[in-house]
Amino acid sequence: MQGQKIMVIDDEKIVGDMAKLALEQDGFYVETFLNGEPALERLKKEKFDVVVTDLKMKGIDGMEVLRTVKRLYPETKVIMITAFANLDAAIEALRGDVHDFFPKPVKIKELKASIQRALER
Amino acid sequence: MLGRIRSLLGLAKGSGQEAPPFRTVFKNFKEVLENNNRALEIIADLGDKLGGDYLFDINYIKSAYSDLAGAVYGSIQNFDVLTINRYPQIHEVFSRIDDHIKTLIYDVTPSRGEMVLDYKDITWNMFREVGGKNAALAEMKNYLKLNIPDAFAVTTHAFDAFVAHNGLPEKIGAIRENPDPGALERLRTEIMGGEIPPDLAVALQGAVERIRETFGRDCFLAVRSSAEEEDGDFSFAGQFETVLNVPARSKAVGEAYKKVLASLFSENSVVYHKMHGYRVGDVKMAVGCLVMVDAAKSGVIYSVAPNGDRDILVINSTWGLGTSVVEGQTDADMYMVKKEVEPLVVGTKYGRKDSMVIMREEGGTVKVRPAEEMVGAGTLAEEEVKALAAQAVQIEKHFRRPQDIEWAIDKSGKVFILQSRPLRIPEVVRKDSDRQEEYAEPHGVLMENMGVVVQKGVGAGRVYVVRHPGELDRFPKGSVLVAKFDSSNFVRVMPYVSAIITDTGTPTSHMASLCREFRVPTLVNTGAATRLLQHGQEITLKAGDDGAVVYDGIVRELIEYDDRDLPKMEELFEFRKRRYVLRYISILNLVDPLIDEFTPEGCKTMHDILRFIHEKSVGELVERARYGNDMAKHHMAIKLDLPIPTGIMIVDIGGGLAAGGSAQRATFEQIASVPLKAIVKGMMHPGVWHADAVSLGVNDFISSMMRMPDITTDGRDYAGYNVAVASGEYVNLSIRFGYHFNMLDCYCSDNARNNHVYFRFVGGATDIVKRSRRVELIAAILREYGFNIVTKGDLVIGRLANISRGELEKVLDHIGRLIGYTRQLDAVLNDDSSVERFVRNFLEERYTF
Repeated sequence: MQGQKIMVIDDEKIVGDMAKLALEQDGFYVETFLNGEPALERLKKEKFDVVVTDLKMKGIDGMEVLRTVKRLYPETKVIMITAFANLDAAIEALRGDVHDFFPKPVKIKELKASIQRALER
Repeated sequence: MLGRIRSLLGLAKGSGQEAPPFRTVFKNFKEVLENNNRALEIIADLGDKLGGDYLFDINYIKSAYSDLAGAVYGSIQNFDVLTINRYPQIHEVFSRIDDHIKTLIYDVTPSRGEMVLDYKDITWNMFREVGGKNAALAEMKNYLKLNIPDAFAVTTHAFDAFVAHNGLPEKIGAIRENPDPGALERLRTEIMGGEIPPDLAVALQGAVERIRETFGRDCFLAVRSSAEEEDGDFSFAGQFETVLNVPARSKAVGEAYKKVLASLFSENSVVYHKMHGYRVGDVKMAVGCLVMVDAAKSGVIYSVAPNGDRDILVINSTWGLGTSVVEGQTDADMYMVKKEVEPLVVGTKYGRKDSMVIMREEGGTVKVRPAEEMVGAGTLAEEEVKALAAQAVQIEKHFRRPQDIEWAIDKSGKVFILQSRPLRIPEVVRKDSDRQEEYAEPHGVLMENMGVVVQKGVGAGRVYVVRHPGELDRFPKGSVLVAKFDSSNFVRVMPYVSAIITDTGTPTSHMASLCREFRVPTLVNTGAATRLLQHGQEITLKAGDDGAVVYDGIVRELIEYDDRDLPKMEELFEFRKRRYVLRYISILNLVDPLIDEFTPEGCKTMHDILRFIHEKSVGELVERARYGNDMAKHHMAIKLDLPIPTGIMIVDIGGGLAAGGSAQRATFEQIASVPLKAIVKGMMHPGVWHADAVSLGVNDFISSMMRMPDITTDGRDYAGYNVAVASGEYVNLSIRFGYHFNMLDCYCSDNARNNHVYFRFVGGATDIVKRSRRVELIAAILREYGFNIVTKGDLVIGRLANISRGELEKVLDHIGRLIGYTRQLDAVLNDDSSVERFVRNFLEERYTF
């Protein structure tokens, strides 16, 4: 998994910061974004192996990130993280397109395992 | 005499306020427990989720805190009813703490825009205003209680005001992208020639005046940079100006202040800015003004060896002020210290210190040559090295990352910390995490799949078995604490303990929250730690997500792995900022109910409030249930029929007795109250309840049989019964045998957090020597069962809480035996050695005299 590329999008800095620190420790290359717009700009230029995105964000939200990623790179896996209250709705709406869902707080170990599975397929 | 006993027991009825019936009291008590539990579970969850293993966002903190505040407030409301509003201050305390927390959660700046702030008013989260250096120093002063010089901060608001007042924003903006040396120099000149805005001048003068009032008119200050971003993510080490030995007069301080501000626009500083992606004007400058320490010696500590060895710290030291060490201009002494709990000096190198910097009497500093005999001599005594090392370890532990610390020792030998900032060190080669099993393999497994992990991590050391709180005083630093019960008293050794393993306990106990706060690897509820682990044995505890293992011996590789492989979330500013909220939620300050601060005003966190309420609610319950005899008159009291003549009457307040029995008498089998049943079972234990007469000394007029009601008749219509007020999970038992008065208040449910025992014993009617022996004996036995004991004359009070139902039933069984055992004890306690003998007999279950 050395150098595999992960993008993390969440409008709270702490989520990206923590994810980056934890994932870099496992040898991933990680870029973080605080909102969807620059993230999609970046994705247009470069492919990432896994995109971890928050569902509810101002402006471009997780749904739109998902649609764009799938259009650009069908094989890129998307992991959606969301506030617990939105989980059911999210699962219902996005069934099939998303590799995994996690309610926040997300156990980092579980997120890592999910990324691992995404990359194995 | 009886009046005295009564008042000692608190039997005289209290205030004029109408007390609610006991059933209502009990119902409120239970509601307090329920709310407290809910609150403690949320606190435990917050500690867990904010511990570094989870990605969390502010929404989680907001919603968890809102639940928590609701539960704590609910608890306060029940508490008000229970205590008939005896503690109105608790409301104020709650809103104050609630305000603090909301300020943090909702990111409201705590600032009111002050230009100057005394260190005592600075909290860590104010670093945007006071800069990283000031914030860290204030934190060490206010929170770690380290010796920091008296000081004040000139804030970034003052910086903004200065820049605006002197018309500089446009000039700074003009060179934002492309600062050429000439423009920078012109900017610096303008700052040096600038005017201090009037309101800043007033604030500065006030602060300087306060310093002069304390330290005299001739004192001097160090005026140092504390840039906004100088916090940790970038150290800016040595980029900005420091002006030493500035006379404490507003004009001189103002000049020094401008000099420090100007250094923000030095060429070096701007290069450094650019290197880290900042542009000119992005960083604001706060300043710290500290009272000068007239240092006999001073220097720098790296809390980690520069080669990355985290077990070693390095102290550099020279004569006089430390500037020459900081700037690397002198050949300083070097002490290498191994970071054991008792720091061990492992290497010493004396430099040739042929110059030293000292304070000039008229201000400023001067470089002089030390006396010839000082040039090659060591600057620090071993004790000083150890004292510095201990503080460095404490600071590193607190900030949870390697530190670069400036220190000084003044002419009276007092140690001062002058600065601490994160130290960047090279990453060392990591142990392979997959090979953990392999490292541990040669070591025998002492415990596996036992207990509940409270705090993950690896801890190793010698086992020190703590049987009662007094033994904590002798706790060897760095040991593994092993105990039967968990106890918040352990906070006394938290900073030095390598790991904690207990037989009983829960992850939501007070101790558990302390362990999480101090990050002490902790395993509770193992059932057998005190049996399986030997006092003095070397062990390693590895506590992780999938349970815990205790290895025989010290597995060094596991410790190193643990130390280095966990992501260092603490290095993230956002993480530290969010976690800071726990300081007002989960830290427990009210550890000991017997300290003076155990008051509503002493509560500094939500956890403190819960602790206070629980302790006082138990007290309230005990107080009310004492009127059991009154209840026996007003309620249906049912006689307990036992093979032994206890004379116990039961007042059933709900579920204390099995349904369907007789209205007058109940048998042992019909007792449904869990705690009462356990106590009575103990009383009936073979051999405990002596019928044999014991020969009495002439000073004793107590018999081994119950005497009543003759000696208790003092004109009031005392019913003379032994009364148990009982529900399914609760009992308050008042027992009087002769002059002994024994009271036991106990809650025993499936939730260990709720459970408590309050034991009270008063005796009399025997000579004073025997009385004190009896107190000694009861106290010694209760301590063995984990009670916290207070004795006063002939009174013994024992408290025990947070204990699982199974354990508690066992304890109560033994207390039942103790009640029987002590009935006739005085008569046989003939000499001091007999106390020890009878304690031993009791603990070994030999009850015959």
